[in-house]
Amino acid sequence: MTEGRTAEAKRWRWGQAAALLVGLGILVWWILSKMTWRSFLIQALNGLSFGAVLFFLASGFTLIFGLMRITNLAHGGFYLVGAYIGISMMALVGNFLLALVVAAVAVMFLGLFTERILLRPIRGMEKPEVLLTIGLTFVLGDVSLAIWGGDPTPVPIPQVLTGPLTFGSFAYPRYRLFVLACAIVVGAVLFYVDRKTRIGAIVRAGVDDREIVAALGINIQAVFTGVFMFGAFLAGFAGVIGGGFLSVLPGQDFEILLFALVVVILGGLGSLPGAVLGATLVGLIDSFGKALVPELAFFTIFAPMALILVVRPQGLLGRAG
Amino acid sequence: MLKRLSLTARVKLVLLAGAIAVGIALPYMVPQFFVGLATLALILGLFSMSIDLLGGYAGLVTLGQAGIAAAAGYGVGYMANRVGAGHLTQILVGLALGLLVSAIFGAMAMRADGVYFMMITLAQGMIVWGLSMRLTHITGAENGLTGIIRPPVIGLYWQFYWFVLGVVLLCSLALYVVVHSPFGSAVRGLRESEARMRMLGYNTALQKFYVFMVAGFFATLSGILLVYLNQFISPSAAHLTASALGVLQAILGGLGTLVGPMIGSFILVAFQNVVSQYLERWPTLMGLTFIVVILFAQKGIVGAVSKSWYAWLRRRGRDEELSEVARQEGPVALESSESA
Repeated sequence: MTEGRTAEAKRWRWGQAAALLVGLGILVWWILSKMTWRSFLIQALNGLSFGAVLFFLASGFTLIFGLMRITNLAHGGFYLVGAYIGISMMALVGNFLLALVVAAVAVMFLGLFTERILLRPIRGMEKPEVLLTIGLTFVLGDVSLAIWGGDPTPVPIPQVLTGPLTFGSFAYPRYRLFVLACAIVVGAVLFYVDRKTRIGAIVRAGVDDREIVAALGINIQAVFTGVFMFGAFLAGFAGVIGGGFLSVLPGQDFEILLFALVVVILGGLGSLPGAVLGATLVGLIDSFGKALVPELAFFTIFAPMALILVVRPQGLLGRAG
Repeated sequence: MLKRLSLTARVKLVLLAGAIAVGIALPYMVPQFFVGLATLALILGLFSMSIDLLGGYAGLVTLGQAGIAAAAGYGVGYMANRVGAGHLTQILVGLALGLLVSAIFGAMAMRADGVYFMMITLAQGMIVWGLSMRLTHITGAENGLTGIIRPPVIGLYWQFYWFVLGVVLLCSLALYVVVHSPFGSAVRGLRESEARMRMLGYNTALQKFYVFMVAGFFATLSGILLVYLNQFISPSAAHLTASALGVLQAILGGLGTLVGPMIGSFILVAFQNVVSQYLERWPTLMGLTFIVVILFAQKGIVGAVSKSWYAWLRRRGRDEELSEVARQEGPVALESSESA
């Protein structure tokens, strides 16, 4: 690429960013003309906390795809199973932290089974892998229905996290703030591991070129399994955390999967920053959409997805090709 | 004239003629319940064929085709239930809505391929599902739309069966013409190597859009037929479960063949009916079937049959016949040679 073209590309990028900012400004101004500052803040926090749950899901999904090119559509099923195990653990021992860990670890082993037993024979065949994970989702959803029944139930949350937190005259549910804090911590850890540690370097190198990483004497198969298990862990984690404020019910596996897919399509498949951006956007769009145009709840996430696919098919932060 | 055809072609023709004859005679042979099941299987087979055109011929596996069929069904249902319009209007609105949704979805997905295409179409189909759950005043949400009555000419179950049979045969013929046309070759080229097609000067995105529209048209027809069969439509018609069932039918029968989806459809409809008499866990069984088919039988039933036919011919030492069979299009694996 020549010097001139690089500069031009840079200018083009700045232009895009400026257009995006102006558009966002107009949008915020329009929303504020429709609601008070207080309800704006509440909706924004609602959106961000939902986005936090989507981030747990989408980051695992995107990591698995980025490294192994496996599109694990069973991620929604993992979420649901995690949430149900969380409910059972709460009924059994009543300790939220323990329930969280047990559910996440159980789903992690479900991930191990999926990767080692089910997906191994068709490794590298991308479309069969996708279809197999869909079949797995049906099984997980239906077996959950058989075990836990069809009534919507929330994951019980501990006493400390119930009730609102008040700042002066502004009150907001503690639990949702806790979810948001969790996402920030998990996100920070993920970025640190990804950018600063040896294992992160191996994963990033694996994303770029699996064969070379294997040739360097690294057991790439073990890395694959590890990342898949970690993604499943995050999905189970998301199930318990999300189940605390989104009720758990049959069919939610597909609904949450839809949101996670829109997140990665918007943010860019295989990109961790893309998952952050996509989850934030989808959470906010969904929340404000429900508040402003409740009838069009699903259309509000569909429209931006359509726009992105036409203007920038690789997603906002995805790499072309 | 028959003599000049190869043995394989003759066997195929006889089987096809036999199947059509049984199809026509069916209402005389079995009770109403089974005719109803056969109608359902025919409609789902047509739906599955539209998926196969994309997944088997173009190499673009769609997971949202039920969204298109359901949109058409909702068009019919809305006109019947909420507007009270005549049958012609119902059908025209259903067609228009199905094609409109196909065009929007096609335009969104035409630059994608592989798993990205699957994800996009999955999201599209589920958004139709989500919208039909929320737009209560149009779709009736989970209660769905009732009061959709068939036109009087095809009102009785056997009349409707024959009508569906006729439509499905015509559609199969049309699809046969499509896949054997130059356009069909270009579509298969997309499956084999999109990059090379682009090198040859094809606008591959536009090709994908066209084939998406053709598939969308047949999905639309199946959606209209289905809503007249059930005389009811609810959001589950658009759900991923419906789309995935269509994909499973196509793979189970044999992807990349026109007869495969129909065979898969009859088997799964029969299987589902037998199973649901004994236990309620159909989704589990469907999921397990999915897993087993993907792991062990990606070329489906047609693949297995043509393999043993090939072996039989070889044992008989019919060499010129063998080369004839080898030249013909068999079922294709899900993964094209390029991306594997």
